[in-house]
Formats: sequence, structure tokens, C-alpha cells
Amino acid sequence: MANEYYEFFCPVKMVAGFKALEHIPFELSSHDASRPLIITDRGVRGVGLVDIVTKALEAADMQAIDIFDDVPPDSSMITVATIAALYREKECDSILAIGGGSVIDTAKGVNILVSEGGDDLRAYSGTGVVKSPLNPFFVIPTTAGTGSETTNVSVIKDDKTGAKVPFVSPFLLPDAAILDPRMTLSLPPKITAATGMDALTHAVESFTGLAKNPISDAYATAAMKKIVTHLPEVLKNPSDAAGRLQLAEASTMAGIAFSNSMVGMVHSLGHSVGAKCHVPHGLCMSILMPHVLEFNLSVSSENIGELLLHVAGSDVYASTPVAERPAKAIATIIALKEEMYALCELPRKLSETGSVKETDLEDIARMALDDGSMLLNPIDATFEQALSVLKKAF
Amino acid sequence: MIPIKKGFEADIDYNYQRMYVSGMMQLISHMLKAGSQVDDVIKTEVAEMPDGFVFRMNVMPGELSLTMQKQQGALVNLTNYTDKPDLTMSFKHVTFAFLVFSFQEHTAQAYANERLIIDGDVPTSMKVVRCLNRLQTVILPKVVAKKAVKTYPDLEFIQKIQMTTKTYSQFLVNLVKER
Repeated sequence: MANEYYEFFCPVKMVAGFKALEHIPFELSSHDASRPLIITDRGVRGVGLVDIVTKALEAADMQAIDIFDDVPPDSSMITVATIAALYREKECDSILAIGGGSVIDTAKGVNILVSEGGDDLRAYSGTGVVKSPLNPFFVIPTTAGTGSETTNVSVIKDDKTGAKVPFVSPFLLPDAAILDPRMTLSLPPKITAATGMDALTHAVESFTGLAKNPISDAYATAAMKKIVTHLPEVLKNPSDAAGRLQLAEASTMAGIAFSNSMVGMVHSLGHSVGAKCHVPHGLCMSILMPHVLEFNLSVSSENIGELLLHVAGSDVYASTPVAERPAKAIATIIALKEEMYALCELPRKLSETGSVKETDLEDIARMALDDGSMLLNPIDATFEQALSVLKKAF
Repeated sequence: MIPIKKGFEADIDYNYQRMYVSGMMQLISHMLKAGSQVDDVIKTEVAEMPDGFVFRMNVMPGELSLTMQKQQGALVNLTNYTDKPDLTMSFKHVTFAFLVFSFQEHTAQAYANERLIIDGDVPTSMKVVRCLNRLQTVILPKVVAKKAVKTYPDLEFIQKIQMTTKTYSQFLVNLVKER
């Protein structure tokens, strides 16, 4: 027996499906909460998504005590402290986060301060510093990609130093994630495609990384199947609410998978491309994923071969010889990328983003080696190898 | 003679594991100091760490630990450091440290298997992990080093012998100086 061991943890209640938002008043009252503060951003509020939630609350004689809608694209400690002061001033007792990754990370930070006390979030930075349950906290994702509603991490920028500070604790997880198709219906096609590919990358890297385990595999593979089935359909018919819900569920399932198994080199490179050239995260994932899988083939061919069953289906899997499955799995993902390009012109190469120059690649490769995701990639890449992958993706 | 427990899998008594881990931590801290003085790969990694950077590897609750600091471009051992280090790598139990220090499991796998908690600046922690990997590649026989690191690098035999000799020599020089 090898030294195999794993841990799996996800206490987040899933409230998912038709009219899921109307369950929020009950969820609040079951946590003895009645004075929620809504945290969101201007884009989300501007397209009317917050109104759907507030109307659902009002119909149950409950109302949001206040709405903070100025969360920036990068969560910041000043924003967290500002929102915490608002929460205390208005005597709120719970948080509803409506948005994507930045809003959710910001809300996690706010919940630390309003539950633990103090105004300086830095005091709680690091792993396991928060050691007790926080105030009632509910997340309503408006993108289907980040999976932040199921992660125990929040990364928030220190405005003084510019450093991105991690906060890690199981108590950061929300009490419930509310997945309602109305929240993602208005997502533009390109963002739908990019966030869907982000979720697919979470599932693929969770399934092929060093920390994979049987339970996260189950979530990852189910998520892959949902994404490859429904992402093209939703792009062809953006008002397909059932398909949107499938993608939201897939994103959350991929989030559960990677929050337990972590991610690998696609994320190391992608974080660095994003930091250097400001390319959206999901787009980086989509572009880089097949190239990193090819790089990892020498040690992960079995796991990559097994991907074929989940991204191409049982007929293709059964009719493909074992030795050809890894290459066919990668080819299937490349074909999906081509389909995304045909449907919404989602860039297929770094050069097509218009934001990355070939001269940036060396810096990106260097930064990627210091990214924590590299630790759980099946192979430790050297600078030259990381650069070679980036050049292929360019 | 080391007593072996009988059970689901043969195992070495915890007291002997603790003694072994303690000895290996001493050895690794001294070898890492030597490596940071003579090995170009480790020197490059250390050069990119902030001056005064302190990292600690310990076994919970903390009785076994090694603490090192970057001073004047190289790593030195700290024996009585009481502040919070910039980076802490904590094994949850002595037996998990034993798995790593007896080369049954590499550091990344220990982290993947939730046996090791890394707390601190992530980019610098990656540099520390690369230093440890390089050290093990240099000072251990290839057959052992391949188990001790996730990816054994392209390192020609002659190069390896040269680096091994330089590192062990510096280790001995440091021992004499410290006496």
C-alpha cells in the first residue's frame, strides 16, 4: 500500500435551482438572522441582479438593511474595513454576497472583522488564524466559474504594500451557496465561455494533480461532463435557463473539487499572465490548459487518458485504445476551445488576447515558478520548461 | 536494535522516529547553510529572498524545529528565535516528518496529503521548497534523491559529484569554524 491519504471537507449547504433565491429568507431565519447586509459590485447591481434578491426578501417581510455596491475588481483591505464599519453602524447580523470572486473574497474578509472584532484584517492573515464560527454568511454567485463559494480561502490586497494577502480557515466558508439561473442569465457570451473554461480547468487540474482523491474526483468528473455538454448549448442559446443552472452547478462542483485537491501549473501560468498582462483569469485558463496537459503527459498520462471519458463520453472512450486516450482527451479540449472561438470569438492563443507580448513571456515564466499552484503540479517545471509551454500557447 | 511495532503495517517506534527527525533537522539545517554558500542554484534562490527572511520547519506542537535566516546572502541557523517566522512549514505529527526525512514521501506529496501546513509568503515558500529539493538532489545518492524530490532534474554525474563534494566540504569547514 502506498502512502495514500486525503482529507475532504465541504460543509456549504447548496440551495440550487428554480426560484432558489426565494429560499434566502428561510435560510436567514434558520440562522436566527434578519438584518442582512448585501455586498456586491456596481456591474452586478447595474444589471438588476440585486433587485431580484431584494424583492424576494421583501415578499417575505424581510429587507436588506443596506447595500454596499462598490467592491473593486481586486478585493482590498480598505474596502473590507469600510464595509465592516457599515455593517456595525447599521447593526447588521448577516451577509449576502452577490457577485463573482472579488465580491465573495471581500465578503469573507468583512465577515472575519465583524465576527472576530477589530479593524485591521492583517491580524487574521495566514493559515488557521480564524478558529471559531463567524456570522451567518450566504453567497449568491453571478458567474459560473470561480467556485469561490466553496473555498476556505480569501485573497485580499494590502493597500499599503500592494501584496495580496491570503486568509485561510474552514470558518471562511459560507453557510450556504444559492445557485439560481436568473443570476447568470445576463452574462455576456464571452464571459460565459471564459468562466465556463475556468470551471473546467478547476475540474481538470483537480483530477490530474498530486492531491487528487476519490471524492474530489467524483465532483470533478461530474462537473466536466456538465460543462462540455452545456457550455456550447448555452452559448448558442444564452436564454437557456436550465443550461445556465447546469453551468452554475458545474462551477460549484468544480469549486468543491479543487478546494480539496488544489490546482496546478495551468493556474501558476495563468495567475502570472493575469498579473503581468491583465488578461481575464478564465481566458488564461482556456488558452493554457491543453498546453500544460501536454507538458504533464510524461508523468500523468493515465489520469489525462481518463479525462477522455468525462470530456468526450463513453462511446469515444470505449472506442479509443488506451495508449491513444491521453492525446485524444487533449484534442477534445482543443476542439472545445475552437468551438468557443467559433461561437463567441474566445481567444485561443495568448497572442489573440491583444494584451500579451512575446517579450512578456520570460517574466511570466519566472513569476509562475513562485506561484503556489506549482507545488501540486505533477511535474516541477523549470524556467525553460515554463517558457516553452508559454511559447506554444502564444 | 530499533524495535519494530507489529500491526497493520510495520512501523518504527515514535521515540525512534523523533530521534531520527531531530537528527535529520540538524543535518539539513547545516547542509542547507553550506549549500547556500557554495551551490549556485541555492545561492540564486536565496539571493531572491528578502534580507532577514526567517523560515521554520517544525513538527507540531513545536518541540522539533529548524529555523534559518537569510543573513548576508546566505542562510544561517537560528537557535533561539521567538518571533513569528516569515514562513512556517509545520508537520502535523512526527510520523509525517519521518516519512519525508526518511525519503518515503517528498515535500510536495506531504503537502498534497495534508500532512504539512505551509503558512506565510507563498512565492518565498516556493523558493525554500526549491532549495530543499536542490539540496536533496545534491547530497543524496541519485536512487534515494529520486524518491525525495518530485522531479529529479537533469544533472550530469560529473556535475553532481562536483556539487556533492563542494557542499559536504563546506559543511565540514563550517563545523570546524563553529567549534
